[in-house]
Amino acid sequence: MKKIHIVMMLFSFLTSPYICMAQSKKKADKETAEWRYEIEAVGTGTQGTYQIKVWSYSKKPETAIEQAKKNAVHGIIFKGFPNKDRVPGQKALAQSPNLEQEKEDFFKDFFQDGGKYQKFVTLTNNGAIAAGDRIKISKKEYKIGVVVNVNKDALRKDLEDAGIIKGLGSGF
Amino acid sequence: MKHLILAFLLVLCTASAFSQAKKPTIMIVPSDVWCNTNGYMMEFDNQGLQVKVPDYKKALQENSDLLLVISKINELMADRGFPLKNLESSLKSLESEAAEDAMLTSKGGGEINESPIDALKKVAKADIWMQMTWTVNTTGPKKSITFNLQGLDAYTDKQIAGASGTGEPSFTAELPVLLEEAVLSHLDNFNVQLQNHFDDMFTNGREITLRIMTWDTWDYDLETDEFGDDELGFLLEDWVANNTVEGRFSTSTSTENMMLLEQVRIPLYYERNGRQRALDARGWANGLRKYLKDTYGIESKLMMKGLGQAQLVLGEK
Repeated sequence: MKKIHIVMMLFSFLTSPYICMAQSKKKADKETAEWRYEIEAVGTGTQGTYQIKVWSYSKKPETAIEQAKKNAVHGIIFKGFPNKDRVPGQKALAQSPNLEQEKEDFFKDFFQDGGKYQKFVTLTNNGAIAAGDRIKISKKEYKIGVVVNVNKDALRKDLEDAGIIKGLGSGF
Repeated sequence: MKHLILAFLLVLCTASAFSQAKKPTIMIVPSDVWCNTNGYMMEFDNQGLQVKVPDYKKALQENSDLLLVISKINELMADRGFPLKNLESSLKSLESEAAEDAMLTSKGGGEINESPIDALKKVAKADIWMQMTWTVNTTGPKKSITFNLQGLDAYTDKQIAGASGTGEPSFTAELPVLLEEAVLSHLDNFNVQLQNHFDDMFTNGREITLRIMTWDTWDYDLETDEFGDDELGFLLEDWVANNTVEGRFSTSTSTENMMLLEQVRIPLYYERNGRQRALDARGWANGLRKYLKDTYGIESKLMMKGLGQAQLVLGEK
């Protein structure tokens, strides 16, 4: 009996970080599904890209990095971002505010884990988070700022080819 | 019969699905302010009045920064599937065409016909002008760029898109780098507004202006009430109201000799010989010319300026 107890304790000790991580991921997934994030401009990216900082909410910084990628692409398509100092903000790629609901099936696949969104976003500095970008907002939650580059030209082209948004020359 | 109707509807749908609206041409030019500040102006005497006009040719030949900005915007717009007309190439084409026309003779010794109006119209043309201005701001060793890009409709004189702002000051970056950054920062926002303008055009029709004038050799004028139950000017307005999208237009000027109709929203397509065709100001105003001839026996001369401006002079050709 004692042996069983020891094995169980050992098992739970070994698996607890994974369970914790999985719970954190699950919560972060939920936050992502609700699209709880903020975006700010960082600088004028290289040609064809936007350089932005995405503030996501998570228990663990590691989880926030993956969610930040998803949030960044979502933000560029649906939200846009405001001016920051002298860096001009940009408007959303989606012309219609209801596009996400109108093309629900497309975006469900697009934003699923490992989905196509990954093709259009890269982390800067390997996802290193600056000290000031890790803010503890409650006992269990951090607000994490991750700087990413979104390849908006490729993203726009992909959405145009899929018939999700209109190109500048369409109709002519 | 049902099948026949269905087949007809299918053909109609296919025809309308494949018809494309006439694509406006866009050209980038430096603004008058930029040309004046940088010394690219020509002065000439216009009946005793000194007039300054921008010298685009000189600017393009001497200013490499201007060439860089134009080339960068052209490149980015082509990436967006909307290649622009190039100012430098247009100016060169005009010069070579003028030289060729001057040398051209027929076998019988005939020369190319050119009226003074034809000669006046030989200038670089576009439906939308992208007018840009930039200034270099210097604060101590730091430099920054204030960039202003305006999209101007050549016919309605409306600004249909714009983007402007001042970039981050820099100690080290060279001017071309700052200019490239300014273009990259502002062009997407400009294009969002341009897209909104095109969307509006697809929903509410193309916005054009129509000028109606009369020849002094004509025995009637726009106040003549012999052609119907009202004065000719009002009969013309009736036709315009019946042939615009939701009857949208406004009469800006109306006298016995001329009328200026603005914000005239014309449909993008019309049917000719059973097929849908793209419609521009000239095609639309041709309908009015035919109506005047067929209904009231009034001859008129139709002239056009690009996609969005038509002039009809009543009385004779």
